[in-house]
Amino acid sequence: MEHTSTYIGLTPLFPLLGALVLGLMHMLTCTKTRLPEKLYGVLACVGPLLSFFLALVIFYHLKGLPTEERFLSHNAFTWFAVGDLHVNMGFLADPLSSLMLLFVTFIGSLIHIYSIGYMAGDKNFGKFFAYLNLFLGSMLILVLGSGPIVMFVGWEGVGLCSYLLISFYSEDTDNVLAGNKAFIVNRIGDLGFVLGMSFLFWAIGTNGFDYLSLKVNAHNLTPAIGITVCLLLFIGACGKSAQIPLYVWLPDAMAGPTPVSALIHAATMVTAGVYMVARFSFLYTHFPLAGSVVAWIGILTALLAATFGMFQKDIKKILAYSTVSQLGYMFAAVGIAAYSAGIFHVFTHAFFKALLFLGAGSVIYALHHQQDIWQMGGLKDKMPTTYKTMVIGALALSGAPLFSGFFSKDEILFSALASGHSGIWIIGVLVAGMTAYYTFRMIFLVFHGEPRDKDLYEHAKDAPPLMTIPLIILAVGAAFAGVLNLPAIFGGSLTISHWLAPSLVEHHPHVSIWIEILAIVTSVAAFAIGITIAYKKFAHGAEEPVYTGLGKFGYNKFYVDEIYNAVFVQPYKAVGAVISKFLEPNVTDIHVKLSSWLYQKAGKAFKVFQVGYIRVYAIYMVIGLSLMSLFLSHSIN
Amino acid sequence: MFEYALSVMIFLPIVTGLVMLLFPLSKETARITGFIVTVAILFRGIEIFLSFTGTGGMEYVESRSWIQSLGISYGLGIDGISLLVLMAGTVLFPMLFTIFKTQPKGYYANLLIAQGAMIGAICATDLVLFYIFWEVMLLPIFFMIGLYGGSKRLPATLKITIYTIAGSLLMLAALVYVGVSYHTQFGKWTFAIVQLSELELGGGFAVLAFFMFMVAFAIKIPLFPFHTWLPDAYTEAPTATTFVLSAIMAKIGVYAVIRFVMPVFEIEFARFAVLLSLAGVTGMIYCGLAAISQKDMKRMLAFSSASHMGIIALGVFCMNVQALTGTLFQIAAHATSTGVLFLFVGLMEERMQTRKIENLGGIAYRAPIFATFFAIAMLASVGLPATSGFIGEFLIILGAIKFNAFIGILAGTTLVIGVCYMLWMFQRVFFERSNERTENFQDLNLSEALTFLPVIVLIFAMGIFPQAFIKKIEPAAQQQIAKAFAMPQAQVAETIVPTPGHNNHKE
Repeated sequence: MEHTSTYIGLTPLFPLLGALVLGLMHMLTCTKTRLPEKLYGVLACVGPLLSFFLALVIFYHLKGLPTEERFLSHNAFTWFAVGDLHVNMGFLADPLSSLMLLFVTFIGSLIHIYSIGYMAGDKNFGKFFAYLNLFLGSMLILVLGSGPIVMFVGWEGVGLCSYLLISFYSEDTDNVLAGNKAFIVNRIGDLGFVLGMSFLFWAIGTNGFDYLSLKVNAHNLTPAIGITVCLLLFIGACGKSAQIPLYVWLPDAMAGPTPVSALIHAATMVTAGVYMVARFSFLYTHFPLAGSVVAWIGILTALLAATFGMFQKDIKKILAYSTVSQLGYMFAAVGIAAYSAGIFHVFTHAFFKALLFLGAGSVIYALHHQQDIWQMGGLKDKMPTTYKTMVIGALALSGAPLFSGFFSKDEILFSALASGHSGIWIIGVLVAGMTAYYTFRMIFLVFHGEPRDKDLYEHAKDAPPLMTIPLIILAVGAAFAGVLNLPAIFGGSLTISHWLAPSLVEHHPHVSIWIEILAIVTSVAAFAIGITIAYKKFAHGAEEPVYTGLGKFGYNKFYVDEIYNAVFVQPYKAVGAVISKFLEPNVTDIHVKLSSWLYQKAGKAFKVFQVGYIRVYAIYMVIGLSLMSLFLSHSIN
Repeated sequence: MFEYALSVMIFLPIVTGLVMLLFPLSKETARITGFIVTVAILFRGIEIFLSFTGTGGMEYVESRSWIQSLGISYGLGIDGISLLVLMAGTVLFPMLFTIFKTQPKGYYANLLIAQGAMIGAICATDLVLFYIFWEVMLLPIFFMIGLYGGSKRLPATLKITIYTIAGSLLMLAALVYVGVSYHTQFGKWTFAIVQLSELELGGGFAVLAFFMFMVAFAIKIPLFPFHTWLPDAYTEAPTATTFVLSAIMAKIGVYAVIRFVMPVFEIEFARFAVLLSLAGVTGMIYCGLAAISQKDMKRMLAFSSASHMGIIALGVFCMNVQALTGTLFQIAAHATSTGVLFLFVGLMEERMQTRKIENLGGIAYRAPIFATFFAIAMLASVGLPATSGFIGEFLIILGAIKFNAFIGILAGTTLVIGVCYMLWMFQRVFFERSNERTENFQDLNLSEALTFLPVIVLIFAMGIFPQAFIKKIEPAAQQQIAKAFAMPQAQVAETIVPTPGHNNHKE
């Protein structure tokens, strides 16, 4: 049962209009007199705040409806229709998309406000906010799209914004290369997405190519096609959400301004892949084999990224690898068909990871763009607000009991255990311990011990209120967002899971309470072990180690970037060079070369007859005339 | 006037161009005359587009017998298949006269003649008439490259001339074969395409004639491996000519395959569709890979254009309505992206006297409007959704998947290949550090910005509201597919897998 309501289509429109206005203003004035930052700042926040307001309206609208009727849709216009393919520019607000909508617009608005402080004085202030608005608009299209093709519009749109913002400081070649890498790797994923959509369309899309129609027709899929479609779509998710083997772009994406890392490369865009798998839960539930692939890739990514995270020294890279790792958890969840657990982790992760990035941004801001944690130390007295909020974020990330991350991560690990995926569960617990270790390694090195760079330390101070207030708000969320989905064992009733139920196709396993307790005890133990080791090693000052052996291997991220470069990038360029330097002039052109060669040879051959004696030519004439008369006499007779 | 709308669009520019060549006019007068004529054509084009009903049949039909003894007629008409090709040939043309302001008179005159002849080829419904316009449109191109081209223009002209003459001769021979076959089967002469599609051809000669047509059009498209004239010609030609070649003339090659080859040689077409679509995909990948190692921006775009043409041609060979509509849409969309990129490069060359990527850098800081416009056209060219480039490419990939999953997957790689060379070029030209050459780069002035603005708007309009275009072309694509491939599957199967020794056992 779905209801039509026109206003939901406005949600993405506000930030898109904002992007247009800001972009035009910046484009037309940036080489002359620059407009005041206040003007840009205010205009930039209007769109996101209006969208947040609409997200609230949508949420309460849905809440007022009976559970099974919680679908609001709006078809703005026919986007294109060819043969059996009919695609509407349509939007669908259901429990799943409305939840995404709420936290995307909420965190998006906060980060816009924070950025006014962080970006102050940048000569491309206006451009930054135009891109940020464009990003939010695209993200809302991605979330609200009523079918895969409309989702793809937002999907590519956020990819573009990600590229533009990673290469924001474009005078530095490395930043632009990081942007290119993000775009190209994402495009490889998008190739999977497009192919997946195409196969899906020919299999079951001819009676309507939006989620609700597809859901109805999903039972017509043959296993072969179904699994192919699921895996192809998952390639798309791997690109966007940085999973093995396409995770390599996300750590490099930290080249962009820190608020961008918080919003795009931690809280929202990178979770789009998880959202997509949840959106297609009606497919993945049917094909558990595809689900298992998703889950295993996810958990292995979590392990790999956590391993890399333990060795990093750049504060943003640590957070980037932890994002990859947490995304791995989410995929493990949706892969084993625990969709609501995955989405719940998306939700809590958005708060604590945005908080950690913004906190890291404040540290970087205070230390004049120093990002090396081995140059920091003792900052807790200089930056008390940042310290306190970041500790809350770190506790949430490492799954400290009763913080938001604890509940969401525990839900995933419990689901893995309960559904019999013990391998995934074991790795998951291990990664939980590693997460606690590397997170608090960062916290201790940055805020505790003695300052390592006295000069930077002296000048460090908390950021202005425009930046600290968003930190505090996010810290509240990071601490308490977990109560929204308390399991029964803690006296709750899984509010979010029940809220999401109409959008998802999932079964909650019923198992004994002892398994639930086992899951909780192990993850608390993993947390405790991880944080203790970090405390012992780093809380009282430590020197930067020189990594050897396995450590060196981990520090260099298993040389994956170098391997990719040698296996894909260089051969690609080499093939291009071979084609244009060798094949194109010498081989492909063969038919032209051959015909001109033939002409020359024929000319040379006929030259033999051109002897220059009249008597020879007279003989030619006689031969010719005789042949002619012979032919004529034949045809007359 | 209304009755002769198409004739006017054909002969107004041709006659104006010839008159310009005959009389001593100043450059400026020639340019302004050309601008006025093309704007008039543009308005006629828009009027035709708006009043086009899109029911699937021919509209604006003109038909007059011409050489009666051979059944050759002067037949013109527009349907959903030619509509967007016609738009590509009319809408962007006036820009050429406002961007390139200091060219000789002959340059402008030749542009006009080329436009008239191209519109003729697009509108012709008679095979012989089409052939004539096809030949005429090549002449101005020959002169423009040879007279006004770059430093290595003569070898480029020679190569393109040999190629096109070879193609034309093959087409002429095949055309005679088709006419004679019709005469044998029906006892009268005609070259009107509607009647020719009733022909039932078969056997070795039909295959030969099919390939003769295909080679002629493959050269123009260009389809791998007949593309080798393209990089030189596109690079050496003056930018306006490159634009005409890539944005319009290449499309006429694709269009001609749909218009003439598909209905007449439906059996051969179905039989060799896999081979031809492989040629399309191979060309896309090959030229896309070649593009990455180009040092000259224009040459890179030339390879990029060839790469896209591979995909556009592929849409024709997939023989389903999605892919065919995608091709018809992409024909216009490609003109708004790659075609316009050529114009931007021409503009950069005029300002900086270089197209070498390594000599550039940091233009975005100097010229934000130019950089933004360039970026938008570039994103359309790599097929970003909500720009003109996405819909067509997606429909072609979708159709290709249905036709043959393997070819569809190969076709999909265009998504990745395109961004690789484009982004790397954009990085080296617009980002990174500026140098003394780019330091003084002037941003688009008001009149230039206004010239390009309609195209930028069109890029978004075609991406966001493609249905306005698709609803006019889709019925014709449906009919074309239905008519050409309605034959019983058994008949195709029989032609595809001939039983060895079949004839011997007949008696």
